[in-house]
Amino acid sequence: MAASSIAARPGIVLEHRPWWRSRMTIVAAIVGAMVICHLTLSRTLSWPDSLVWHSLTHYLDNIQNWLAAESAKTDPNFAYRLIHWISSGLDALVRWLYHLLSSWLTWPGTTLLGGLLAWRFGGRRAAVIMVGSFASFAALGLWDDSMQTLALMLVAVALSLLVGVPLGIVAGRSDRFNGLITPVLDAMQIVPAFAYLMPVVIFFSVGPAAAVITTMVYSVPPAVRITALGIRSVPANTVEAALALGSTKRQLLWKVQLPLARRLLLLSVNQTILFALSMVVIAGLINTEGGLGAPVTNGLNSDPALAILAGVAIVVMAIALDRVTEAIAERTDTAKRHLDVAGRKRARLATGAVFLSIAVAAILGHLLSAGSAYTRWTAQDWLRTQVQNALDYVQKPTTFLFKDITNPVGNFLVAHMLQPLDTFLVETPWFITLAGLAAIAFVLSGLRPATTTILMFALIGAIGEWQDAMDTFSQVLVATAIAVAIGIVLGVLAAEIPWVSRAIRPVNDVLQTLPQLVYVIPFVYIFPISYVPGLIASVLYAFPVVVRLVERGVRDVAPETVEAAGAFGATRLQTLVKVKIPLARDAIMLGINQGIIMVLAVVVIAGLVGSGALGYAVAAGLQRGQFGIGVVASIAILAMGIALDRVTRGNRSAAKGGRS
Amino acid sequence: MRQSASSNGHRHSGPPLIKADGIWKIFGRNADKVVGTPDADLPRSELRAKTGCVAAVRDVSFDVYPGEVFVVMGLSGSGKSTLVRTLIRLIEPTAGRIELDGRDVTAASHDELLQLRRHTSSMVFQHFGLLAHRTVLDNVAFGLEVQGVSKAQRHARAGEVLKLVGLEDAASQFPSELSGGMQQRVGLARAFAVDPKVLLYDEPFSALDPLIRRDMQDEVIRLQEETGKTTVFITHDLPEALRLGDRIAIMRDGRIVQLGTPEELVGSPADEYVENFVRDIPRSHVLTLRWIMREARAGEEDGPRLDVATTVRNAVPVIASSERPCCAVDDGRIVGVVDKDAVLTAIAGEE
Repeated sequence: MAASSIAARPGIVLEHRPWWRSRMTIVAAIVGAMVICHLTLSRTLSWPDSLVWHSLTHYLDNIQNWLAAESAKTDPNFAYRLIHWISSGLDALVRWLYHLLSSWLTWPGTTLLGGLLAWRFGGRRAAVIMVGSFASFAALGLWDDSMQTLALMLVAVALSLLVGVPLGIVAGRSDRFNGLITPVLDAMQIVPAFAYLMPVVIFFSVGPAAAVITTMVYSVPPAVRITALGIRSVPANTVEAALALGSTKRQLLWKVQLPLARRLLLLSVNQTILFALSMVVIAGLINTEGGLGAPVTNGLNSDPALAILAGVAIVVMAIALDRVTEAIAERTDTAKRHLDVAGRKRARLATGAVFLSIAVAAILGHLLSAGSAYTRWTAQDWLRTQVQNALDYVQKPTTFLFKDITNPVGNFLVAHMLQPLDTFLVETPWFITLAGLAAIAFVLSGLRPATTTILMFALIGAIGEWQDAMDTFSQVLVATAIAVAIGIVLGVLAAEIPWVSRAIRPVNDVLQTLPQLVYVIPFVYIFPISYVPGLIASVLYAFPVVVRLVERGVRDVAPETVEAAGAFGATRLQTLVKVKIPLARDAIMLGINQGIIMVLAVVVIAGLVGSGALGYAVAAGLQRGQFGIGVVASIAILAMGIALDRVTRGNRSAAKGGRS
Repeated sequence: MRQSASSNGHRHSGPPLIKADGIWKIFGRNADKVVGTPDADLPRSELRAKTGCVAAVRDVSFDVYPGEVFVVMGLSGSGKSTLVRTLIRLIEPTAGRIELDGRDVTAASHDELLQLRRHTSSMVFQHFGLLAHRTVLDNVAFGLEVQGVSKAQRHARAGEVLKLVGLEDAASQFPSELSGGMQQRVGLARAFAVDPKVLLYDEPFSALDPLIRRDMQDEVIRLQEETGKTTVFITHDLPEALRLGDRIAIMRDGRIVQLGTPEELVGSPADEYVENFVRDIPRSHVLTLRWIMREARAGEEDGPRLDVATTVRNAVPVIASSERPCCAVDDGRIVGVVDKDAVLTAIAGEE
């Protein structure tokens, strides 16, 4: 009675939703209806051929032909000359830096350069890490490739910062510009690298320039975002104080905003490096001048042991650059590290000494003809044998690992999850699939995401990629389901139990530092079963982010709320299920959103190693120079990425960008 | 000097240094279309429901005279911090006219505004707003630095001002190494370093502990006595307002509900709102003889003499020990008398 009198009072609306109207039930019902349609109609109705725009491929090929024709002319038009100018400029820059690191400084000089700079600005530990990484390049016998990659990365990072930091400053100071640029940055990060590889190659042809551009597409957004965040995080009253004293806009920027945003600016350098490095393998696909990416991609089929060694070198480089830049950011923080005049003088002297000794080392290197690359003793052969032995072991059909673990797991995933889902998506009449997906999108996120879903999937059908897209889609769904399940469980555990958090964090850090394709390599051998390597790799790539976001979400629940729940006598489990997890819902949704995008990125890359579908079409287009086919598949990937992002973004007005 | 200004309330030397005339600040789209319409007089929540705009400051006018400490007091959300920011256009006023030192702030060009902020006014902030990456000395010198003063000169001046606030030993330290009270002293020093005509304080001490707050109030009173700056002081703390202010404006929902001397506020609150505010203030600490005296009758001139600006509390011992009514004296002239009844009435709070 009491309840009804409350409900009857005007102004208080008690929202009562019966179980059969909850979102999950509705989604399940839609899926059930789709399954029933699939079973009862019992005939395949893929996207009809009459609705495919076949001439698109042809048009796209024409662009390639036009560019080829322009390059042959003695007097090409302005657009071509501009592209050519950028491309050759970037090529020259990367080559120049590579020469600096190899033939000019010689390998002792380069090692000293890295080690001493790390020591001067990052401290002893950073120096040890830096020199250790150079030692591993030497030991792996991949010195020259590593220097190629380093040169490429440094150019890409420098240019990303050159573009990203000014944009970030503007975005940090102007809300309007920030609003304009955010969707662009979102798009740049949602699109899997594989999708823009083809266009970049067409315009810039293969070589360092194409690799730099590809990398920049991915590494500019974090530079912009974090810089803007840094400018915005300067306390408002400090800005106000400077303005009240009569600072001009420029004085405000140089004397207040930039110095105070320094920590985040340096973090943006760190993140830009990591984002750039995660593209190194993909960049290797289109860079013909060596680097660590080439042995990885080439070796996948011909020399797996070398591919794995190159993968290790990339990981070492990523971790070293991450830790060293982090140490530099910490150590040189002026707000924390207070140098007096004498200290500043000592620091300047030390900097001088560093450069002097690098010069001496380079001169000595030349005098003793140490050579541009370290080639003397390496452990490469020995390591290769060991890795090969390990590979042979995991692939021998009679071993325990293969017979009882990897093979059954792989077969189970394929037979009971991937194939049924794939068959279901491909064979169900296309309009039912489309309607079902749109309905689910509507229930989960509302009208606009549902419209986006229809448009994007219709586009995929119209360009003739329906079947491949459904194939990729089924892999994405399975991998996301696994990644999210693992991520939520581990995330909640980590938030609740301190030692779980401590144990997971280093694993997470390493997994997040690794470039996407490096994940795939080991599983090609451990799970040599069609889609499975790509699936496992994408799960591994995506779940750390879910863990991190869920952990943060659960942990960030206001302590007063948790305390209040405890005061009412809630058990720990009740507090978790009834208070913390519902309040962490936004973070969990964001985790799903980020996870699904990352899964998509890796699933399409895995097309290189036999996951087929859209990724394979891009890889094939690249390898055979078939522009049209590759670009069409790229468009399909892009369309799927946009649809998945919009739907999982849900009702939240704006997702916090950045996967860092 | 402060004392005498407050005692006679309206003795001003020269024309006002700050003139604020009909200032409005409305946040939201089409804010400028609200002023002048009947909507502008709606209560805040109704205005918001109707137009989506929030009225922070509504039709506020006041003058501040040279050397005066003008306090704006109100609860959070009353618009007081917005008001002080409109004075130097850190927040653009929606309507109204502001004059500072004879110059029209509202019409000032960008460059004129910069010059005004550099040389005429200085501001002290609630959360200090210090630059974490600079030493105390460089923080204090910042105002001079943006003016383009040479390093040697500005460091010399900053050193002088640091001595004034008793922080000469902390010059090479960083803000994060100082306590909150010391950080705000740096904030004070930074404001004084440019030798402004007008000082604006935006709740400078509300982030500090009560004991330190009292110290800092003493510091402001001392600096005020030494330098005689014209001051606008924002606070939500009534005792602070009464301690520091020559005149006090009480704001509520963006409007000034009463403007007067501490005595006028405590002695005759304009409405229930102000009355609720001042209810707990011991009247005898605020009211002076001027407030409770009556005309002297013949033959009463021989009682003990007290300055007319003496607070009731301080007058009590003299009046209690005297048989005759006490004479209130202003500039050696008897302006009225105070007897025991008047004192008791004042203390009891009955008019």
